[in-house]
Amino acid sequence: MTLDVMPDVTRDTPRKAAPLLEADGLVRIYETRKGLFGQPVPVRAVNGVSLKVAQGETLGIVGESGSGKSTLGRMLLGVDPSQEGVVRFAGAPLPAAGTPAWRALRAHMQMVHQDPLAALDKRLTIADQIREPLDIHARGNRAERRARVAELMQAVGLRPDQAGRYPHELSGGQRQRVVIARALACGPSLLVCDEPVSALDVSIQAQVVNLLADMQAANGLAMVFISHDLKVVRNLADRVAVMYLGEIVEEGPVEAVFAAPQHPYTQALVSSVPAPGKRLDGRMILKGEPPNPAARPAGCAFHPRCPHAVASCRAEAPALVPTAAGRRAACHLVGGADRLAA
Amino acid sequence: MSRSHLVQIRDLSVAFDGVPVLHGIDLDVAPGEAVGLVGESGCGKSVTWLAALGLLPAKARVSGQVRLGAVDLVGAQRATLEGVRGAKVAMIFQDPSSALNPVIRAGRQITEALGIHRGLKGKAARREAVRLMELVGIPDPARRFDLYPHEFSGGQCQRLMIAMALAGEPDLLVADEPTTALDATIQAQILDLLATLREEMGMAVVFISHDLGAVAQVCERICVMYAGRIVESGPVGRVFDAPRHPYTRGLFDALPSLTGPRTRLSPIPGTVPDPRALPQGCAFAPRCARAVAVCSLQRPRLEPDADGRALACFDPVPADARTPAEAQHPAARASAAVRAVDEAAPPFMPGPHGAGPAGSGPDRGRWQEAAQ
Repeated sequence: MTLDVMPDVTRDTPRKAAPLLEADGLVRIYETRKGLFGQPVPVRAVNGVSLKVAQGETLGIVGESGSGKSTLGRMLLGVDPSQEGVVRFAGAPLPAAGTPAWRALRAHMQMVHQDPLAALDKRLTIADQIREPLDIHARGNRAERRARVAELMQAVGLRPDQAGRYPHELSGGQRQRVVIARALACGPSLLVCDEPVSALDVSIQAQVVNLLADMQAANGLAMVFISHDLKVVRNLADRVAVMYLGEIVEEGPVEAVFAAPQHPYTQALVSSVPAPGKRLDGRMILKGEPPNPAARPAGCAFHPRCPHAVASCRAEAPALVPTAAGRRAACHLVGGADRLAA
Repeated sequence: MSRSHLVQIRDLSVAFDGVPVLHGIDLDVAPGEAVGLVGESGCGKSVTWLAALGLLPAKARVSGQVRLGAVDLVGAQRATLEGVRGAKVAMIFQDPSSALNPVIRAGRQITEALGIHRGLKGKAARREAVRLMELVGIPDPARRFDLYPHEFSGGQCQRLMIAMALAGEPDLLVADEPTTALDATIQAQILDLLATLREEMGMAVVFISHDLGAVAQVCERICVMYAGRIVESGPVGRVFDAPRHPYTRGLFDALPSLTGPRTRLSPIPGTVPDPRALPQGCAFAPRCARAVAVCSLQRPRLEPDADGRALACFDPVPADARTPAEAQHPAARASAAVRAVDEAAPPFMPGPHGAGPAGSGPDRGRWQEAAQ
């Protein structure tokens, strides 16, 4: 085997027009029981989500806990099966989870989780863990794998002498670097990051955010970046999708969406970001909490908390429709945007 | 000693198994004041208050003074401490659902606190508990009195915790990362609630958080901690407008912003030092872009400043530097980058640059130079 099966991480991959990842009408229904012997209640964790991610592009997904963003992330990789809808990767529908075809494809689509300590094996050295995907996907021979591990460790900012360390001997930021190195080992073209910096301290968070940006620039990776932290998403993503109760309520270029959010929920979310030096006054504080997904409100799911809700919001769920260049929003009042502003 | 202080902490030190983690904290809280304690995990911001209230495990060695009125809490009898906890100083924690007892109805947990601290029983206790639940913004409290904690959402569990903390009508509420586990819109609600309660009840609040933005919204005064010491303190407005300790400034520079141009983040290089192997001089010196020779030899003392703040730094960031982002001059940044390569090896990979959205800009060039 020659080295050219090893991905050349320094190559700049040109962006292609066709989306690398395309999801169409994804639905994920969990069943929960009320009480021990109660009737199972279907919970639509993800409710008809469609999105596209181009090669080399970063799509941020923001939303509160329970909005379905993590479930969506797993569905995009096929880890969590969808009841309806289809995920296409590089033009072809994802094979069923667990099949050899799916396993082979997983070399090209990797995941980075929030808690690096849980994602790492406590009893394996970090070099072994970074090498594991290479073993699984039979990349290169022994010497090549060892060289690749060294290269990856250097790329993510780990010292060569740390190769023999165990996860508990590293700091939180270093552990996340190990997880990122492992995810990059097979040279994936898509990385799904689920809250990758949420567990890290501010100064370390910035190191890992920069690392992800560098890795993406160097490898031409497409990235789905799931986070509740709007500031981090704005820094990393090209486009952003805002989720509420399993649905995308607004989507568009990240700077435009956060500078002038159209959906009332996005407006509240942007307004709730505490900025150093900004007092509470004048902020839009939402009443109430996100509803239980098992008891989804009729009409627009956001209407019980929406300060602008009108009669049609209670009756009819708004569709996600184009509102401006590259932007979509699901709100009856957007489009007739002047009514909202008034 | 001044009478005007509610709590006076002097030279509070804590060691676990012979490893000092808190190195002499001096901190005063005036009645009704809101003080923020910020810093990264392990800096001692929570330990300070756990030690003050005698909540640390027995193996912790605590020295110094924590005066509450005429009482010194360090080494005080259990009975003395129990008269203080909840009644004079109450504390709420990060994870409300694990701080509540899962098998006792929510309302009863509040009446229990009311019974202990105010001697209320039966109907009177229930009435007061419902009033407290209403005060902290739990909708329909009378009906929800008999629910179990798991039937409340995370934000509402935190409201229940706050209601329990208020049961003893404390003079001081210590809130340890109270909004960290909550969603953004709920976090805004809880911060709003804390600010309102403080105003209405005239209670002092100590707000412990790693979130500079959240602290700014509730507090008047802020103490920034690093490796078991306070490195900068002062009025929130002044510290936030012009942070002068390089660590404080570094924290601001590392924060991404929701407005303005998208720039590459400026992390603080390296990591927090191991408390077992603290640098000899200033604990921040190995990560500091402004460090001079003396910083690695001598430890700067926390000295009061002319403009009402206190600062522990030999070479602080000039006060006239306008915004944190502009503060570090290019030379300082470049040297920070060099240091980062030496110590932590920065996020960097050789290859074509300027290809990605965050991959361009002058900073990037410096990182490359530094590495080559």
